[in-house]
Amino acid sequence: MDFDLPAEDDPRRLEVRAWLQANPKPGYALLFDQGYTVPHWPRPWGLGANPELQLIIDDELARAGIRAPHHKNPVPINNCGQSLLRHGTPEQQERFLKPALACEEVWCMLFSEPSAGSDVGALRTTARREGDHYVIRGQKMWTSLADKAQIGVLVARTDPSAPKHAGLSQFLVDMKSPGITIRPIADMSGESGEYNEVFFDDVIVPADRLLGKEGDGWKLSMQQLQTERVALSRPGAIWGSGPSARELVDGLVAAGRFKNPLVRDEAVGLWIEGEILRLLALRSLSDRMNARESGPEGAVRKMVAAPHGQRVLDLAKRSQGVAGLVKNRDVLPMTQAERGPFSNWDHAFWWSPAVTLGVGTQEVLKNVVAERVLGLPREKDPTRHTPFNQIGKAQPTQKEAA
Amino acid sequence: MNFSLSEDHTVLRDAAADFLRDQVDLAPLLVPGADAQQAPYDALWAKLCELGWPAMAVPEAHGGLGMSEIDVAIVLRECGRTLAPTPLLGTLAGTWALLAAGSPEQQTLWLPQVAEAGLRMALATAPASGDAGAADADVMATLHADGSYRLSGSSHFVIDAPGAQLLVVAAMLDGAKRLFLVQGEADGIETEWLAWRDITRQVAHVHVKDAVGDLMPGDWDSTWPTLRNRLHLALAAESAGGLQAVLDDTTAYVKERVAFGRPIGAYQSIKHGLADMLAQTECTQTAVLYAAWAQSQDERTATLASAMAQAYASEAYRDATHRSIQMFGAIGFTWEMKNHLYFKRARANAEWLGSAAEQRELIARTLETAHATPH
Repeated sequence: MDFDLPAEDDPRRLEVRAWLQANPKPGYALLFDQGYTVPHWPRPWGLGANPELQLIIDDELARAGIRAPHHKNPVPINNCGQSLLRHGTPEQQERFLKPALACEEVWCMLFSEPSAGSDVGALRTTARREGDHYVIRGQKMWTSLADKAQIGVLVARTDPSAPKHAGLSQFLVDMKSPGITIRPIADMSGESGEYNEVFFDDVIVPADRLLGKEGDGWKLSMQQLQTERVALSRPGAIWGSGPSARELVDGLVAAGRFKNPLVRDEAVGLWIEGEILRLLALRSLSDRMNARESGPEGAVRKMVAAPHGQRVLDLAKRSQGVAGLVKNRDVLPMTQAERGPFSNWDHAFWWSPAVTLGVGTQEVLKNVVAERVLGLPREKDPTRHTPFNQIGKAQPTQKEAA
Repeated sequence: MNFSLSEDHTVLRDAAADFLRDQVDLAPLLVPGADAQQAPYDALWAKLCELGWPAMAVPEAHGGLGMSEIDVAIVLRECGRTLAPTPLLGTLAGTWALLAAGSPEQQTLWLPQVAEAGLRMALATAPASGDAGAADADVMATLHADGSYRLSGSSHFVIDAPGAQLLVVAAMLDGAKRLFLVQGEADGIETEWLAWRDITRQVAHVHVKDAVGDLMPGDWDSTWPTLRNRLHLALAAESAGGLQAVLDDTTAYVKERVAFGRPIGAYQSIKHGLADMLAQTECTQTAVLYAAWAQSQDERTATLASAMAQAYASEAYRDATHRSIQMFGAIGFTWEMKNHLYFKRARANAEWLGSAAEQRELIARTLETAHATPH
């Protein structure tokens, strides 16, 4: 057993570093050509590399001050792109993969809806087949990047008479299509138009934009929500980015707040939890490298990481006292955090309530962990087997049915 | 980097688990009024000796198995899972003290006896305050004219002291805390059993009166950190096993127990509590493996990792055993059920080396010292 990360003089690291020195501002197209965008994917997209090399490349990009491609275009790189590898037609792979991985086309994920958040199967947006195309009608919510994206991965209902999970399909939608309206949602951080709502008003999508088969939408969505790159060496408080507990301790020391015994004890408690989260990520990585079936640590890590991040940011904010109520007043220095959308404590804190909501609420995640890992009885969904278009309509009582 | 258990590790783990499942019988302790004297220490120890477990931490040069900290942590986790009542912890602690502070002659004399004959040891370092790492001791050592050291005073809350054949006793010599080897059967040794609440473990005050002690050359200030790190790891490993047992037992129970027409495991409050307990169990096990590995690295890494494992493990174990009693309902509060044995072991493990807050303070000081250097 060995917990050492690839060393400073690891030959693979030196090779990546030398290349980045020779190509100081590579641009996303060149990074992709070099195989550094998705090194863990098979050739010709990646290098067929093991996760350790992925870690080295991420590390070296950060060291060189280059914003990693998965920050620029997370949807295809982290979540949805692999669906094309497995289920896409050769034409779809040819048309979409390279522009996505080279960050020429940004993607967004059109999953959530006003009445279908963590219960994705309850979505109401429809895709009606008409000859060689589909007509989309409905509304999506909480869509990151919708305003910047060229391509949207849409989940819509193609068969309203099937049970809720069976009648869904996925499409690759041109975000500039007529009939799409995008409106920003102002979140409580007040910092950025992170989220959008997206309206589909009889939008035409060619039939060859269907991903996989009709009815595969639920299965694909679940795979995509579960695939993620591991935030390896420094688990940031906001879904792996932003400040971490290490930065919290460093910042408190630098600001002279670490001497306060109450702050100190709590900060070290968070530091411990942050280190354990880092180790859990390494354990997943190691199990993958050793071709071991991964244990429950993946789901556990997600479940622990979200409230952990909130507590890190909460203590950072409390340590500022009343001054923390002034917008962007960073009393606590950010000592090591990479540049990124959450690289100030104030913004990150007011954003942090989202991390136990997004990508499934904490409550749903705990149910999933209890049911799938511990085998506890499943939460009953009375609508699970009902044809979707019958849900909510008056059901005959048992007496009437008899 | 390789963070997965090897084939050898899993074989060791499974063998230890199988053995302990067959041999550990807590039934005598589940009789109301039972105390630690009913804990089947001697019978289990004899069997452990046949398996060679006392030889785990003894180097091969002294007839031992020279197993790594990871191997030792794997075995201790299984002991903690079953609450195996044995003097293994005391013997390991004594072995580590001999290795850290003993002279070559002392090691050559005693370590083969631990490895081959299962010599039982205990580590006695705490003054009346109970602080095992304190700078002082309530035992005084004096040098006699014949060149021997004589010890008088008391050492407190000594795990596995009853029945120990060799004690490592901390005593003040010329104003400094030092370690001495004292034979358990020597004249002037009196073992005062404690009505220790964790009845799976035998604990005593040790009173010495003009007893002969053999001075160990290692000084306290350099010995204690090494010893403390290993003890932190040992307790955390036990707690990791205890957490796993509590999680498994409670999960099985909530699938069976029906209330309001459903197994109680179908209710979200129960599910969420068990999901938290699972997370604590995984986090503890991860921290323990890291701490075990860290002990093969530099002292700073070992200190941070071991204190982190013990701080996290002790709080997680206490929390889980409390939740487990709640989920079992009133029956979980009775003496006949095992829940209280785990609850009490969790409390004991959280106190014996000081509170989690003290381990966090140790980390805080280490981080402060290292501030301005990269992680």
